[in-house]
Amino acid sequence: MATVSQKSRFGGAFWTILAWVIALIFFFPIFWMIFTSFKTDADAVKPEFLFTFTPTLDNYLNMTDNYDYWRFAINSVITSTFATLLALVVGIPAAYAMAFDPSRHTKDILMWMLSTKMLPAAAVLYPMTFLTKNFLGIFDTHFLIIVVLCLINLPIVIWMLFTYFKEIPKEIIEAGKMDGVSTWGEIKDILIPLAWGGVASTALLTFIFCWNEAYWTVRLTTTEAATLSKLIEGNRAPEGLFFGRLSAVSTAAVGPIIILGWFCQKQLVRGLTFGAVK
Amino acid sequence: MSKRTLPRLLQTPAVILLLLWMLVPLSMTLYFSFIRYVLNSTRRPEWTTPSLSNWRGFGNYEYVLFHAKDFWFAVQNSLFIVGSILVLTVIFGLALAMLVNRSFPGRGIVRVLLISPFFVMPAVNAVLWINMILDPVLGLNGLAVEGINHIIHGLKNFPLIGSFFSMWPDIVPMSFRATQTSAYAVIIMVTWQWTPFAVLIFMTSLQSEDESQKEAAILDGANAWSRFRNLTVPHLARPIAIVVMIQSIFHLSLYAEIEIVSRGNGNKNLPYLIGEFTSNNIGAASAAGIFAVILANIVAIFLLRMVGKSMMD
Repeated sequence: MATVSQKSRFGGAFWTILAWVIALIFFFPIFWMIFTSFKTDADAVKPEFLFTFTPTLDNYLNMTDNYDYWRFAINSVITSTFATLLALVVGIPAAYAMAFDPSRHTKDILMWMLSTKMLPAAAVLYPMTFLTKNFLGIFDTHFLIIVVLCLINLPIVIWMLFTYFKEIPKEIIEAGKMDGVSTWGEIKDILIPLAWGGVASTALLTFIFCWNEAYWTVRLTTTEAATLSKLIEGNRAPEGLFFGRLSAVSTAAVGPIIILGWFCQKQLVRGLTFGAVK
Repeated sequence: MSKRTLPRLLQTPAVILLLLWMLVPLSMTLYFSFIRYVLNSTRRPEWTTPSLSNWRGFGNYEYVLFHAKDFWFAVQNSLFIVGSILVLTVIFGLALAMLVNRSFPGRGIVRVLLISPFFVMPAVNAVLWINMILDPVLGLNGLAVEGINHIIHGLKNFPLIGSFFSMWPDIVPMSFRATQTSAYAVIIMVTWQWTPFAVLIFMTSLQSEDESQKEAAILDGANAWSRFRNLTVPHLARPIAIVVMIQSIFHLSLYAEIEIVSRGNGNKNLPYLIGEFTSNNIGAASAAGIFAVILANIVAIFLLRMVGKSMMD
């Protein structure tokens, strides 16, 4: 037995080091972006300052002057927050009904909702522009972006909530019914407190998806409602003259979301696989 | 109020919203795909507004299929990009999931580091990779190649081995914005972003693997490879199918990365081509859009058949 455990201890160390090395390689681009954000634009492209340089916060301090960062950031916060809330308001009652009072069509409705996610956005790009610009006059408004972000995430929200709600014993909800609690009361006082963790992680994940959305938020805005995705896409850095400041604004755009993401890795699996892998 | 009415009522807003979202723009696309509709037509001003009198039948479809310059290239390229990303993420995902699915010091941190790329927004991902990493002059790619050339130049002055190294040519760094290579840049950056997703799913699934079955196999004298082959692989079939399905949905509509890397120069996929048509020829854009819907549906039906049923359990 001794030889076996010795062999596995050596093997264990090897695999552990390998895991660490690969994890660091995967994280390296993010590290490099953060690292470069503390260099001046001039230093950032000089090989002699690759690792040794005088760190500066100027790129962060000048973010407003260089990119008008906060205007875009505030738009991202507003649209992502309200789209998430709207999706929950529409999604919770639907998922409640599907989980606790399923009909024989529930399965088909859920599948159909999922299929709306597969519709290629580009196929309806012009109709969406036409409708919102010429017909409804809501092009480039927060309202439009909130509604669109809500709609593209609604299927995921309902699927996630559905899988969480199904884990709650039906008897608890029925007991509420017996006591004459209204449906609204059931949702508010029984369901949401019981499924609080599930609702919170659904909200967190939806917020992340809204924040990172890069098709409609770019194509359906010009200035008023433009989000961080639009800001970054608009500054693709011609010939890399501005690596320092571009890194700073990119770090500011993704930093908060990466940290939020760490908190909901587990839920990510459920959210993106529509409950198929738990 | 009957027992059934209320639940139906609660689902109604969600169903109606999604129905509108799906049907209204799509039926407009369908309509535009059958008429002549060209935004900047100076020759035929009547074509600049949508009208039934500009009916073209299947003319736009014919144009897109047989005359539009990049259509088949875009279809081929879409499939090439999606296929490459799928193969790479599944292989890396499986290998890394196995690697991390053991207890070792700092496992929590390793997981956090590994998952991080997934939360980077696509625009930042593309800007970061194409400029700071892959750029052949200013990016790490260029700097690394320059460094290697520098070392070789130094070695040329050494006695004996110098004569060997003096035969080496200077290495030219690969440019990822060129016609042939911009697709590779997109594949690299998306693989980087989505491998963590595959790792996460495979890891979740590995954790639910039946350990007692494995132990029984060890007692029966099965070696590591046959345990992997006969127990782990069948167990992972479903998560692999799911990873393939979900990534197909996302990657068939890649856009930001392609825009940022080369503005579609030499590297268009179907959504990008539709975007280009949309600046002028709406008829063609709509016909191409309908083809994109058909393509997505073929993939979706195929994949839902594969995994859809088991998803409801």
